[in-house]
Amino acid sequence: MFLSRRQFLGFSALTGAGLLMPKESMAIAGKFATIIDLTRCDGCKDELTAKCVSACREYNKDRYPEPVKPIQTYWPRKNYEDWSEKRGKIDTLTPYNWIFIQKVSINEEDFHIPRRCMHCDNPPCVRGCPFGALTKQPEGNSVINDSLCFGGAKCRDVCPWSIPQRQAGVGLYLKLMPKYAGGGVMYKCDLCKNRIRVGKEPACVSACKGRLGDNSAMLFGERMTIYSMASKRSKEEGLYIYGDKQNGGTSTLYLSKIPFESIEKAITEKKDRIPMSVNIESKIEKDINPLGKLVLGSSILSIVGGIAYAMNRNKGGNDKDE
Amino acid sequence: MNKIRRNTAVEMIEHWSIALSGIVLIFTGLGCLPLYKRYFITELPGFAWTGNFFTVTQVHYISAIIFCSAVFFHIFNHGLSKEWGLIPKKGDLKNSVKLILATFGIGHEPPSDKYLPEQRVAYFGIGLIVLVLIFSGIIKVLKNLELVVLSPIAEAVNTLIHTIFGAFFLLAFLVHISFILLFKDNRHLLKGMLTGWVSEDYVKRRHSLWYEKMKK
Repeated sequence: MFLSRRQFLGFSALTGAGLLMPKESMAIAGKFATIIDLTRCDGCKDELTAKCVSACREYNKDRYPEPVKPIQTYWPRKNYEDWSEKRGKIDTLTPYNWIFIQKVSINEEDFHIPRRCMHCDNPPCVRGCPFGALTKQPEGNSVINDSLCFGGAKCRDVCPWSIPQRQAGVGLYLKLMPKYAGGGVMYKCDLCKNRIRVGKEPACVSACKGRLGDNSAMLFGERMTIYSMASKRSKEEGLYIYGDKQNGGTSTLYLSKIPFESIEKAITEKKDRIPMSVNIESKIEKDINPLGKLVLGSSILSIVGGIAYAMNRNKGGNDKDE
Repeated sequence: MNKIRRNTAVEMIEHWSIALSGIVLIFTGLGCLPLYKRYFITELPGFAWTGNFFTVTQVHYISAIIFCSAVFFHIFNHGLSKEWGLIPKKGDLKNSVKLILATFGIGHEPPSDKYLPEQRVAYFGIGLIVLVLIFSGIIKVLKNLELVVLSPIAEAVNTLIHTIFGAFFLLAFLVHISFILLFKDNRHLLKGMLTGWVSEDYVKRRHSLWYEKMKK
């Protein structure tokens, strides 16, 4: 059953080749993507609430948290995150508002940016959740399972855009050690998972189309089509794209006539809690995956080493245990 | 006092590599849960890094390199050399209870071979936990590298298994340490794992079956 020297070398070479695979993202991209066209979005200026925001709120209203009160603090800290008294707040992301219109003014021109989860190709929130409460679906959307989420907010900490929002006083943690661990449930856009699964568009996209028709600021469709459409418009109209490279790639592409660096600067100056940085590397791919390859490589080498060492001892008849 | 060789250098390296990297894995594993910020650990001098999940994960992976290597080497080295003295035998559970009771002065310790029955039971238990952790951990690595694609449910279940068995590993580690700290006679075993040697008197008294085998 032991391998010959030639077989050993062949096995090691094969293993090495496997581990030296390309460094760039090999993320499974998902079936769908969205374009959010900032040249077309005016934030529904003639409406009380932007259509995408009101459609999202209407469609998801039955899924919003109903916390048990009084809510305990996150012992030994003295705080807790409760948005339940601010359910009407629509100018930022909250557990009750999963998309909002971020407004910035650049060179005296107003820009309206619908902001929600980018649905990354290799989402750090999904990869990092210790309870498996976050999953990436074949459609490309990342989804929080609110019955499994502990509300530790790690997903928000690792998200380059701080998208998931926490509501205390709800969820699994209340049934275990509510005083000492857990903090509620995280909420964010899931791209209307039940709609896209059956071939419909997310509610926000449908609402935008309903208002602007063919000039809709949001387009949803097959990823390949959306990506080529964005690329074509970028070339033909000189538009800038955001979301294709950020965090290793996402399934949300923003189009803008001004560079996204200017938008980033304006958002940063506003000190908005939902940033839009341009230079976002995928830390999973850059910092974690190379070490993952080393874990695999060293495991295989140690198996080979263990076999070789045992063979050598068996041959030499060294002392053994019992 | 005459001494008897209990552990080889390779065995000690295996044990301490697993133990020390295991401690770091437990610490960083807990750090992967969002606890350290909440409990002010990040504010302790030298512990600010524990608040960065990516750094914590990097340290977790570096420890996993040592841990997995030592475990795999251990399995293949001793498995193929037919050194199976730590595999549980019939009656080990019963004898472990007798042995633990004897340390409290109830009854007599059963005569033991090189390894105590409780060591074999512990080895099986910890070994099983370690294998589940390594298997689920490697699946996580393969998934991050996109070498395997799991269904959303399979990914969630695997993650949950890794976290739950991480908690079991912490418990097993605490039990392992307390057996050394609480039961004075077990400290000979710690000495044996640190130096490789134990006293002949100890072996004669506690591992009489092994002693008789050596004398033959």
